This record gives sequence, structure tokens and C-alpha cells, in this order.
Amino acid sequence: MDLVTVKGLSKRYGGIVALSEATFSARAGEVHALLGENGAGKSTFIQILSGAVKHDGGSILVDGTDYRPANPDAAQALGIAAVFQELSLIPDLSVEQNIWFRHEPRTLLRTVNRGEMRRKTLALLEKYDFPALRPDQELRRLTLAERQIVEIAKGLAKDPRILILDEATSALPAREAEWLLKLTRQLAAEGRLVIFISHRMAEVRAIADRLTIFRNGSTVAAHEANAVSDNEIVTQMIGRHLDRLYPERVATATDCIALRVKNFSSGSRLSQVDFALREGEVLGVGGLQGHGQRELFQALFGASKASGSIELWGKPTLINNPRQALTGKDGIALVPEDRRGQGLLLTKSVRENLTLSVIKRFTENGLLSRQKEAALVKEMVDFLRIKAGTSEQLAGTLSGGNQQKVIFGKMLLTQARVLLLYDPTRGVDVGTKGEIFQLMRDLAAKGYAILFHSSDMPELVHVADRVMVMRNGGIAAALEGDHISEEGILRAAMLETRVA
Amino acid sequence: MSAAERPLEMAQRPAEEKQARPGIDWRGRLLDRAPFLVACLMLALIVAIYGSLQSGVFTLDEINLDTAAAMTLMLAATGQTIVLVRGGIDLSIGGMISLGTVIAATRFTDDPSTTALWTLIILALGFLIGALNGLLISLLKLQPFLVTLATWSILNGVAMIILPTDGGSIPVWWVGFASAQLFGLTSPVWMLLALLLFWWWFRATRVGITIQAAGSNEKSAFLSGVSITRVNLVTYGLSGLFAAGAALFLVTQTGAGSPTIGKDYILPSVAAAVIGGVSLFGGRGHLAGTLIGAFVLTLIGNLVFVLHVSSYWQPVASGVILLLSVLASSVAEKAARNRVQ
Repeated sequence: MDLVTVKGLSKRYGGIVALSEATFSARAGEVHALLGENGAGKSTFIQILSGAVKHDGGSILVDGTDYRPANPDAAQALGIAAVFQELSLIPDLSVEQNIWFRHEPRTLLRTVNRGEMRRKTLALLEKYDFPALRPDQELRRLTLAERQIVEIAKGLAKDPRILILDEATSALPAREAEWLLKLTRQLAAEGRLVIFISHRMAEVRAIADRLTIFRNGSTVAAHEANAVSDNEIVTQMIGRHLDRLYPERVATATDCIALRVKNFSSGSRLSQVDFALREGEVLGVGGLQGHGQRELFQALFGASKASGSIELWGKPTLINNPRQALTGKDGIALVPEDRRGQGLLLTKSVRENLTLSVIKRFTENGLLSRQKEAALVKEMVDFLRIKAGTSEQLAGTLSGGNQQKVIFGKMLLTQARVLLLYDPTRGVDVGTKGEIFQLMRDLAAKGYAILFHSSDMPELVHVADRVMVMRNGGIAAALEGDHISEEGILRAAMLETRVA
Repeated sequence: MSAAERPLEMAQRPAEEKQARPGIDWRGRLLDRAPFLVACLMLALIVAIYGSLQSGVFTLDEINLDTAAAMTLMLAATGQTIVLVRGGIDLSIGGMISLGTVIAATRFTDDPSTTALWTLIILALGFLIGALNGLLISLLKLQPFLVTLATWSILNGVAMIILPTDGGSIPVWWVGFASAQLFGLTSPVWMLLALLLFWWWFRATRVGITIQAAGSNEKSAFLSGVSITRVNLVTYGLSGLFAAGAALFLVTQTGAGSPTIGKDYILPSVAAAVIGGVSLFGGRGHLAGTLIGAFVLTLIGNLVFVLHVSSYWQPVASGVILLLSVLASSVAEKAARNRVQ
């Protein structure tokens, strides 16, 4: 019998239909993938399942009984836990406090039993072979990837019958993502149902028993995973054929050097990074996570300090803060890693987000020209095909892909021609991913110089003209042409790491 | 045999794993506590100066006196600390303190049972008014600053209606409570210890952790199943309760009620917490720091007195110390952040 049966599920937010007549069924002991573009209704669906949101219509049966949790607590009490993409962790609590938050073992005085909590934490981490985590470390000291791992531990701590993983691999570097896939299989083997959401087809392929496809707020199909091809899946997801995810790679690099970095060092995290990024080039930055990629991008943008020299378009330049980086037509702009936290003002409109850094561009005689502003905004919205009701829609209410487009727009409006893209497709749906890659190639063809980091290796392989592989804060290798392959990148990233 | 050995096994196993877990992050811990340590340093400095100018500073009598002088602020600041850790602020404690003193001054009698009854009523009123603050903040989705500013004004007005000018009377035996001694320590010192004990317990309970969590990241807390309304209710309720407690202690010092006295504790309660390392952004801070902060602010008054300068220098000195504290925590915060990147 099915563990979960969903019929005719619907949910509206004001006038917007988020979910209509969705159906779903899944068995205990399987990995069930949910596929669909951002905004297709997957998020709403799992929010309902996890008790964060209440549905308007339709029915959910869990184990044959009607299921309508009042809140996430009630859902967890019924054995349903979610690992959210929007992390539910508390920055000022320790790793173990987060894992057991509100379910802490207690002493007779009703205080938290620390010894017992430590014991349970270590037992949990060991049982599922977690990557190294320090239970006593405060969460705000952890990287995004480590936080995602804590979030997973927190979900498992509830010992759920049904575990929902929402884009859990998108923040993880390759090795940890692989661990998670193994873990997912292990959980299914223990008789749990794992509902797995990922935009990475290869992962879905690797672990899903069955899959359900969402489009425009409804379910369009459910398949046994081995009975359907990638092409069919993608076609059903987007409702049309996606010719190619990756655009054709036309060499547009000129001999003109846009950005030259010499002897760039910052403590132990960056050591003597040297490279040149040419006009019209997409230069990939790869390697295992935590080997200096983040620091390199941050330092180039002036968000953190580094020694060494930078030349922009042949001129030595000092960049001590983002304001200097963004100055003038020869500046540097960054698409940051944490879209919602660093890139966008979620409670401000698309327009305000786009023009935040460039108020000067539509100021006349010291006054803002609304007309000029509107023209610039319209140009960007059209150019990037941002899907928003109006340019006054709040950025926080856009889908992930459209939020990312707004950040691109904000960056392009600064007129900087050296672009730093740090994992720009993280948590973005397939359709928008394709658009972003095409955009990158178009910008390169227009003479922009692009430094591009992705945690998804195939993206580097298929989009970048050259790939620099970072290891221990330095450049371990620069791959060109046919040498750019997942194997080549991994080889450079890992081989000598093992010796060290 | 095996039972005795098991804990050892547990402790050793992680170290043997493929990736050794690093040891305790001492530098990080030190940086986390930097604001608190700075507050301790300040207090030590002030005590040293004070002690060199005035004889008899390092005696039990002086500790008893200073604690009594600081206790009203300490009680008010305890409530404020809970609210600040929640990520809010409570201005209404000023109104609650005034209201508490005027009710006490008009209702307390020499009959202990009447007085006890009104003590309970004042405390209950404090909790209920505080809880109402929390409810308004949650239900109307308003800024704590605005809601508590409004309730402060309302409570102030009510206090004025009950007792338009300073006065009324407090039973002598109630006033005497503040100088009651046990083992050479007066009741305020015991209250200080009780406050620390309360905090040690409170911060380890689920309620305490939940309040901290809601202050650290409200959305994450909500997603983890926390009822934000309930958190606000308890947080502001406790703040009101401690403000009522502050009023009940204050009348032992003044012997009368005052409809305006409460305002003197609003900003100092916040300042004491900030000097002690409590973050205004929520999620971080401990009562020990706040109590040190309250001592710092109180002793500055003493220092100004023994230096024989105008008492108007006291707020100036308090402000400078507040700035220095904020500076210290921001420097530590930056250092901590740089280490993460």
C-alpha cells in the first residue's frame, strides 16, 4: 500500500495559484524524486507536506488516514520531517543544539542534558557516516555546505518515516553530495520514504526509484525511474523541447587582458594566485569546495582583504571595498553565493533591487529621474526576460531563477565589464539555467570578461573556455580545450591533496 | 567493567575517524566572550580607581551597599536582557516600574497579608501587561519599539492617575527587607545570586533556548516549529514580571511611590545589557554581563561622587563607557567574522 496518497491538492496565495489538483503517491522504502522548474509547485507541495503551509483543497492520506498538520511540529510528530532549502537553522546555537532543537534530552531540572545530547549527536553522525562536524561549534562559523549537512542531521534526528530533501545537494561540494546520495539510499533501505528534490538530473538518475513531475502548479506525470528517458522528463518539465542545456561554445576571447591578478594571497586561504582573464572569455574556477574559490571571489570584489596586485584593462587598480570594485565602466561586479542573503533586498521591489547600485545613472541635476530609471529597468527586465508581474513586485516573491536574473540585471547595470559569477545557477531550475549559460556566452561575445565558479562540475566543463583548478588556496592547474573534463578537474583538484 | 570504559571509547572514536575532528576552538570562544571580558575589565578598572580614592571599598559593607544601589536596575535589566536576546526591546518597563511603585505606595499596609496580596497582584500585573505587549507585537506585527513605547506612555498615565505626585507610604518592615542580612550578606546580594542561578537554569531550558533561537533567526525558528506568538508572550511577560519586581525593590530604597521614576531605568537597562555584551540584534548575550554592566553604571555614580565633580558628569561617563563597550564588541565581532571567511 502507498504510504502517502495525495489527491486534488490545491493552494492559492491571494490571486496566485501555487498548486492546483496535484496528485502524488509514494511507497515506504523508496526514493521518490520531485522534478519541475522553479515555480512549478514543488516547494508549495513539500511545504504543505511538512506542515509549514496549509492546503486549501484536496486530500492527503498518510498510512490511510487523513493528514492535515497544523504546523511543522504536528507533521514531525506524525513522522514527516523536511530538510528545507531555506535553512531552518539558528546561527547562534551550536551544531548539536541545532540538531536537537526543541527535542533536546532533558534533566530533572528541565534543563538540557548536555552529556546525553553529545552522546546522541555522535551516535547519529556515526550511524549515517556524516562528514566531519564539530558538535560544539556555533553554526554561524560554518560554511554553507556544512550548514546544509547540519540541516540534514536535524531532519534525521526526528527519526522520520518520511524525509523530504529539498535541493539538499545544491549547496554541497562533490564529495559530500555523493555521501548524501548514498545516505538517501540507506534511508530508503531502512524502510523510510525519501522525497528528493534536485535540479541535477544525474543525481535523480542515480538514486530515484520513481519520480513525479510538476509543471505550473500541477502534476503532469509520474514514472518508474528506469522507464523514462532524460529527454522525456525534461520535455514534460518544461512543456517543450529544451534543445540544449549548454549553449554552443564559440571562442570570443581576444588578446586584450581584462583582469590580471598577480601574487594574490590572503592568510592561509589564498596563496600566490596568478592568472589573466581576457576580454570575451569565460574562465572557470573549479576544484573541491573550500580550497580558496570563495576567498578569491570575495577578495577580487574587495569584500575581503588580500595582498598582491590587480590590473584591470591594463591599469593597476586598488580594490579595498566593493564600492571601489563597482566604480566606473572598468569595474568588477559580483553575483554572490548567497542569493537571498547577500544579493537581494527581498522586501524591496524588482526595480529598487536593480537600480540600488546605480542611482547615479539616472540622476539629473541632483534629482532622481523616474523616467530614466523606468527606462533602464524596462531594458533589463526585457533583456533578461525577468518574469515578474510588474517591476514593483517584491524580489522575495519571485522564483529562484528570476531572483537570480534580477541580480544579473543589477550587476549589468553597474556597467562593470569584469563579472564574477559565484555559483550563479545554484538552486535555479533547468530552463533558467540554460538561459543563464546563454546569457554568459552572449555577454562574453559582447566583450565582457567572466570569472565563473560552479559547484556543479559539468557546468564548468560545458560553459567555460578555460578552467582553473584551485587546491589549497592556489591554482593547481589551468585546463584548456580538450583537457577540460570532469576527470581532468578532479585529477588536478584531488591527486596531490591526498599526498598532503 | 565495560560500563566504566564506554565513555572513554565514545570520546576517542571521533578522533580516529578518517578526518580528525579538530580540538576546541579556544580563540573563537575567547572572541565570543570578548565583550563580556571587556565589561569585566571595565568594572575592575572602575573598582580600582574607586578603591584608590575611597577607603573601605573592599569590604562586605560596600558590596552590600552597592548591590542594593544597583538591584533595581539589575532586576529591570534582567527582563530587558531576555527581551534583547529575543531580538526585541522593552521600553514599557519604565511605565511598569512607576505603576508598581504607586500601587505599592497606595495599597501596602502594615498588615502583612494585605501587602502580600498586593505584591502578588503587582507581579501578576507585570507579567500580564508584558504578555499583552508580546501579544500586540505578534498579532499586529508591529515593531517592539513602537508597541512598548505606547504601553509605556499608557502605564505612565495610569500611574499618574493613581498617584499624581511622589508620595504614599511603604510599611517600615517592607523597607527593612533590603537591609535584612544572612551570613553577613544583605538580601540584595542574595537576590543577585538568585538572579544568576535563575539565568543559569533558564538559559538551559527549552523555553530559554527557544527565546534565544527566535532572536537569532526568527524565520528559522518558525520553520523549526516555534510559535513566535508564544515566544513573544513569554519573553515580554517575563520582562514585565521583572519590571514589577524592580518596582517592589525600588520602594524599599525610596520608601514612597513615584509616577515618574520608571523612566530612569529604561535606557540604563538597555545600556547595562549592551555594556555586558548582549547583542541588540538578538540571539547573543548573558545575564552575567548585564549584571556587570549594571554595576559599572552604578559605580560610575560613586566614582563621580568621590571625585568631587558635578554629578552631571555621571551620564557623560556612562555614555563614554557605553560607546567603548559597543566598540569592543564590534571589533571582536569583526575578528570573529574574518576567521570564518
